[in-house]
Amino acid sequence: MTDAYAEEEEFETRFNGRTLRRLLGLNLRHGRLLALFAASVVGIAVVDSYFTFLSKRIVDEAIAAGDMAMLQRLLVHYGITALALSLTIFGFIYGAGTLGERIRYDLCRDLFARLQELSFSYFDRTPVGWLMARLTSDARRVGEMVSWGFLDLIWGAANIVAALVFMTIISWQLALIMLAIIPALLAVAIKFQAGILREYRAVRRTNSRLTGAFNESITGVRVAKALGREQANFARFQELTARMFASSYRAAWLSALFLPAVQLITALAVGGILWFGGWQFQRGDITVGGLQAFVAYITFMLFPIQEMSRVFAEMQQAIAAGERVFSLLDAQPEITDQEGAAHRLHMRGDIEFRGVHFAYADGTPVFTDLNLRVPYGETVALVGPTGAGKTTLVHLLCRFYEPQQGRICIDGQDLQTLTQASIQSRMGMVLQTPHLFAGTIRDNIRYGRLDARDEEVEAAARLAGAHAFIQALPAGYGAQVGEEGLVLSVGQRQLISLARALLAQPDIFIMDEATSSVDTLTESLIQQGMAEIVKNRTSFVIAHRLSTIRQADRILVIRHGGIAEEGSHSQLLQARGYYHDLYARQFREEKTRALDPFHSASPLPAPL
Amino acid sequence: MSNSRDRGRASLLRALDYDLKHTLHANRAVALWRLITGYRLLYGAALVGLALAALARVGSLFALRYFVDAVLLSSSRILTLAPWYALGFVALALVQGSASYMAGKWANQTAEGACCRLRNYLYDHMQRLPFAFHDRNQTGDLLQRVTSDVETVRKLYAVHIAGMGRVSMLLVISVLGMLLLHPRLTGYSLVVLPVVFGLSLFFFPRIEKRYAEAQAQEGRLSARLQENLSGVRVVRAFVRQAFERALTETENAEFLRRNCRVVHLNASFWPLSDLLTSGQLLVSTYLGARMVMAGDLTLGAYLAFIGLLGQLMFPIRTLGRLVTQISMGWISFQRMARIIREEREVLDPADALAPRHLRGEIQFRQVSFAYETVRSVEAGAETPARRAPVVLRDISFHVQPGQVWAVLGPTGSGKSTLVSLLPRFYDYDAGAILLDGVELRRYAKSFVRRCVGIVQQDAFLFSATIRENLLFGVERAIADEALFAAARTAHIHDVIESFPDGYATLVGEKGVTLSGGQKQRLTIARTLLQDPAILIMDDALSAVDAHTEYRIRAALQALMATRTTFIIGHRIQSIRHADQILVLDEGRIAQQGTHAELVACPGLYRDVYRIQARIEEELQEELQGSVAQASAGPPANAARPVATWTDGRTVQPSQT
Repeated sequence: MTDAYAEEEEFETRFNGRTLRRLLGLNLRHGRLLALFAASVVGIAVVDSYFTFLSKRIVDEAIAAGDMAMLQRLLVHYGITALALSLTIFGFIYGAGTLGERIRYDLCRDLFARLQELSFSYFDRTPVGWLMARLTSDARRVGEMVSWGFLDLIWGAANIVAALVFMTIISWQLALIMLAIIPALLAVAIKFQAGILREYRAVRRTNSRLTGAFNESITGVRVAKALGREQANFARFQELTARMFASSYRAAWLSALFLPAVQLITALAVGGILWFGGWQFQRGDITVGGLQAFVAYITFMLFPIQEMSRVFAEMQQAIAAGERVFSLLDAQPEITDQEGAAHRLHMRGDIEFRGVHFAYADGTPVFTDLNLRVPYGETVALVGPTGAGKTTLVHLLCRFYEPQQGRICIDGQDLQTLTQASIQSRMGMVLQTPHLFAGTIRDNIRYGRLDARDEEVEAAARLAGAHAFIQALPAGYGAQVGEEGLVLSVGQRQLISLARALLAQPDIFIMDEATSSVDTLTESLIQQGMAEIVKNRTSFVIAHRLSTIRQADRILVIRHGGIAEEGSHSQLLQARGYYHDLYARQFREEKTRALDPFHSASPLPAPL
Repeated sequence: MSNSRDRGRASLLRALDYDLKHTLHANRAVALWRLITGYRLLYGAALVGLALAALARVGSLFALRYFVDAVLLSSSRILTLAPWYALGFVALALVQGSASYMAGKWANQTAEGACCRLRNYLYDHMQRLPFAFHDRNQTGDLLQRVTSDVETVRKLYAVHIAGMGRVSMLLVISVLGMLLLHPRLTGYSLVVLPVVFGLSLFFFPRIEKRYAEAQAQEGRLSARLQENLSGVRVVRAFVRQAFERALTETENAEFLRRNCRVVHLNASFWPLSDLLTSGQLLVSTYLGARMVMAGDLTLGAYLAFIGLLGQLMFPIRTLGRLVTQISMGWISFQRMARIIREEREVLDPADALAPRHLRGEIQFRQVSFAYETVRSVEAGAETPARRAPVVLRDISFHVQPGQVWAVLGPTGSGKSTLVSLLPRFYDYDAGAILLDGVELRRYAKSFVRRCVGIVQQDAFLFSATIRENLLFGVERAIADEALFAAARTAHIHDVIESFPDGYATLVGEKGVTLSGGQKQRLTIARTLLQDPAILIMDDALSAVDAHTEYRIRAALQALMATRTTFIIGHRIQSIRHADQILVLDEGRIAQQGTHAELVACPGLYRDVYRIQARIEEELQEELQGSVAQASAGPPANAARPVATWTDGRTVQPSQT
C-alpha cells in the first residue's frame, strides 16, 4: 500500500537532443505502424483543411454563382473527402494507439530482461520502488510521448501549414497577418501550459501527502483513540486539506483561463480579418466564401495550438522519463562471465577462500584477509552478530559478489573461471525470509527444477518434511500462496523453500535460518529436512537456533571482519568466548519459548 | 495557549461545515445537490456562465450572418460598417471567453470545496468510528474510498456534470438558433443526431469496461514485476531468469492486448461517428444550398446554419462518455456513503460525569463480553474476523488504588480484551465495571481514555518529530526537563540524543528507521508523559532485550507506586512482584493470587514457574557437561579464538 502513494520523483532535465533522437528511434522498430501513423497524421491535417476550402468553393462557385451542376460536383468531392477523413481518423487513432502501447510493451520487456542480468550490487543500491516506477509509469509516459505526443506535434504543425497554404490561395495578404500572429500565439500558449503543469505537479505532491496522512490515520487509529488525539490530529489534517484546496483551485483556474485566453487572441484575429476583409471584399479581392473560410481556419487553429503547447510543456518530463529508462537499459552488470568461462554440470564441493578481501560498493568493509577451507561433505554453521558478514560470505561463494582481493575456489577451480549460471545452478539456497511467488505450492516447489513431475515435487516435500502440512490444507499442493493467497507462517515457508532446494538437487547447500520463532513441531520438521539435505553435500548454514548449530560439523563465529572463533560446539563452549555467551542466551530464550505454555508468538528478541 | 486552541476550534468548525449524513439519500440528484450545500449558488452561476458562453458563441455566428447579408451583399457602406461588426465580434468573443472562464473557475471551486469537505469529514468521521469498525475493515479498501473515490467525485462536479451542462446548453441554444434561421432545414439536419448519440451511448460504456479490464491487468503486471524484484535473490539462486522473463512476458503481452482493445474501440467509434456527422453536413449543405438558390434562405443565414450544425455535432459525440462517467462518479459517491453511514462512538455525551481526579480503584463484577459479528462497509459482505473471537465470561475482581496487577494467560485467552474494556475501546455486554465506585459507562470516553495509559505490544508512532510523538498524549505544556526525564525512564533519551536532530528527528515513513525495541521505549515514554491514573503494559517489553527490560522495570517501579497498574506478560520474571496475579484461560479467570500463593498450589501458574526454573538448571548442566566433555575429548587447542581485526590486533573474544 505504501507504494501506491509513494511520491513520484519529478525532476526535469534540460532539453536533450540525444535522448530525443533515441526516443524517436523507438518508433523505428515498428516500421509498418509508423508508416500508417505518419501517413494518416499528415493526411488528416490536409484533408481537414481541404474541407474548409471545399465549403468555400461551394459558397462561391455553386451557391453564389447559382450553378446546380457545380454544387452536385462539389458535393461528390465533399463525400469523397469525408470518407477519406474517416479513414485517416481511423489510421491515426489505430496507428498512434497501437504504436504507443507497443513501445510501452517493448520498454517494459527490455527493462525487465535487463534487470534479470544486473548484479546484486545494483539491487543493493536501487530501491524496488524506483525500479517499479521505471517499468510502469515511465515506460507508459515514454510510450505516450513518442506516439500521441509526436502525433499531436506533427498534426498540429501539418494542420497549421495546410491551413496557411489554403489561406494563401484565398488571400495572401490575410494569410500574412495570420503568419505573424501564430508564433506569438504558440509562445504564449506554451508558457501558459508550462505554468499549468507546474501547478498540477504541486497538487500531486500535496495529494500524496494527503494520502499518507489518511493512511497513517487509519493504521494508527487505535493509538489516536487511546491517546484522545482525535481533535489534534484533525486540526493537522485540516491544514493539509486547506493547502490542497488552495493549490488545486489555483491549478484549476489557471487551466480554466487557458482556452478563453487563447480564444480571445484568435477572436481578435477574426475581428481584424472582418475589418480588413470587408475592405478587400469591396475591392473584389475576396469572396464571401473566402471570408467565411478564413474565419473557420482561424477558429479551428485553436486546437492545434492547444495540443502543441501541451505537448511542448510535457516534453521535458517525458524526456526526463526517457533518460531514466535509458539509464536502466544501459546499466551494465558488474559481474560478467569471462571469455571462455567453463560451464560445469557437476561439482564435488571442496571450497576454499584464500586471502579474501571484500567491501561493499558504499565502502563498508566486510572481510579482510579471510581464509577458509571446507572439505566436501562438511556442514558449517555460521554464527555471529547481525551485519558481521555471514550472508556476505555465502553470497561471495555464489558469486553474487566478487572479492576485491583473493580467490574463492570450488574443487580447486577459481570461481572467476566458471560461468555464473553453472555456479548458481549448483547451489541450493534457502533464504532467511523465504520468498514464495504467487501461484500454487506445487509451482513454488517446482521452481527448484522446472521439469520435475508432480511425484517428484511431492517426494521432495516429503523429504523436507513439508508434505504433512501441505496435505492438511484444503487445496493441498494446489493451494494458492503469495500476496493474495494463503497466509503461511515463516516456518511453513521455510519448509516449502527447503523442498524447493531439495528438488533442485544441488551440489552445495546454503541455508539462512529465519530469526523469527517457529513453533516446536515445525522446527523439528525443518531439522529433519535439513538433516536430509546436508547428507553427502557441503553445506553452509547461517544458524539462529541451537538445534541447527549442534548438527553442524564445524561452527564459525563471524565477527569483526573475519572468523573470530572456530571449532566444534564443545570446543567453543570451553573457550568461553563470544560463542559461550551467545549459547547461554539462546538456550534461555528457546527453552522459555518451547516450554512456556503461555508462549506468545512474539518475535525472538535476541537473534544470534 | 488557550487562545490558539480557541482559534483552532473555530477553524475546526469551519472545516466541518456540513453534516454529510444529510447526503445519504437514495435519489442521486438530491444527494449530489446536498453535497454542495453552500456552493449551490456558485455552481448555479457556473451553469449560467456556460449558458452565456453558448449564447455568445451562437451570437457570433448570427453576427456573421448579418455581416454577410446586411453588410457585404447589400450595403454600399461596407467600409464604415465592417469595423463595427469586427468590434462586435470581438466583444462577443470576450463575453464567451469570460463566461466560460468564470464557469470553469466556479465549477472547480465548487468541486474542490465539496472534496475538501468530504476529505475533512471522512478523516474526522473515521477517527470517531468505533474500534469494531476498524477491526472489520481493511486499510487498503478504506484508503481507496477516501482518496481515489473522492477524486472521482471531484471530477464529477468539475468536469462531468459541468460538461453535461455545457453540451446540453450548446445543444439547446444551437437548435433554437437553427430553428430561428430555418425550421424545415433544422428538421432535416437533426436526423442523424439521435443516431450519433445512440452510437456514443453504445460505445462508451464498452470503452470504459475495456479500460477497466486493462487497468486490472496493469495491476497484475505490476504485482508480477514487484514480485520478481523483491524475490530477486531467489530468482538468482535458482538461475530462473529465463523462466521469470517468460512469466512476465505473459502478463505484459496480456496488458498490451487489452490496451489495444481499447484502442480498437476508439479507432472504430471516432471515424464512424465522424462519417455520420459528415454525411449529415453533406445533406444539410445540399438542401441549404438549394434553398439559397431558390431564394428561400439568405447566404448569410446559410453560413450561420452550417456553422451551428458543425459546432453541435462534436459535443454530441462525447455525450455517451459523459453519461458513463457520471454514473461512475455516483458509484464512487456511494462507496464513500457506506463509510458516512456508519455510526460514530460518542466521546463526550451530554449526561456524562464531569472530569474528576481518579484514585484508580477498579472493580469488575461478573463482566462478560464478546466481539460483535463482523461486517465490512461493503454491505452484506461478511469478512472473516481479524481478531480471534475472544469471549470474556463472568470476570470479577477488585483492584485497590495504586496496586500492581498482572495478567497471565495463553494467546487468545482474552488478556488484551480484558484491559481494552477499561479505556472503553469496547463496551461490555453484561455485568459492571466500577471505576472509583462509579459505573464506567457514566464517564465520557474522552475522559476515561485520558486517564488510562496503554503501552501496546506493537508500538505505533506517527510520522512527526520525536518530540511531537512523545507529546501526543499530553494536553498541558511540558517543560523540556520533564520530557527528557520521561525519555530517560524509558531508556531512550541517549538514543534520541545520538541522532543529529535529537528530539526534532522525524520518525515514520520519511524519517529515521527505529528498531522495534526503540519504538516500544518511545511509546513507554509517551505514556509516561500522558501521566495516566491507570497504566496498562500490554506485553510492553517484549521487543526490548532482557537487560534493558530490567532497567526499565526498575525505573517504572517508582511510577507504578502512585497509580494502578496492569501488566500483561508471559515471563514469570516480569510479573512475580505484582500485588495480585490473574491467570486467564479461555476467557475465564483460572487462578488469582500473589506469586507466593500461586506457586504453592497446583495449576497453570505453578507449571509455568517450574518450567522456567528448570530451564536455568538445564543450561547450567549443559554448560558444565560440555566443558567436561571437551576436556575429556579432543585437545583443547583445537578451539582457537581466531580474531583477525582490521588493524591486525588479536584479542581474546571473551574480553569483548
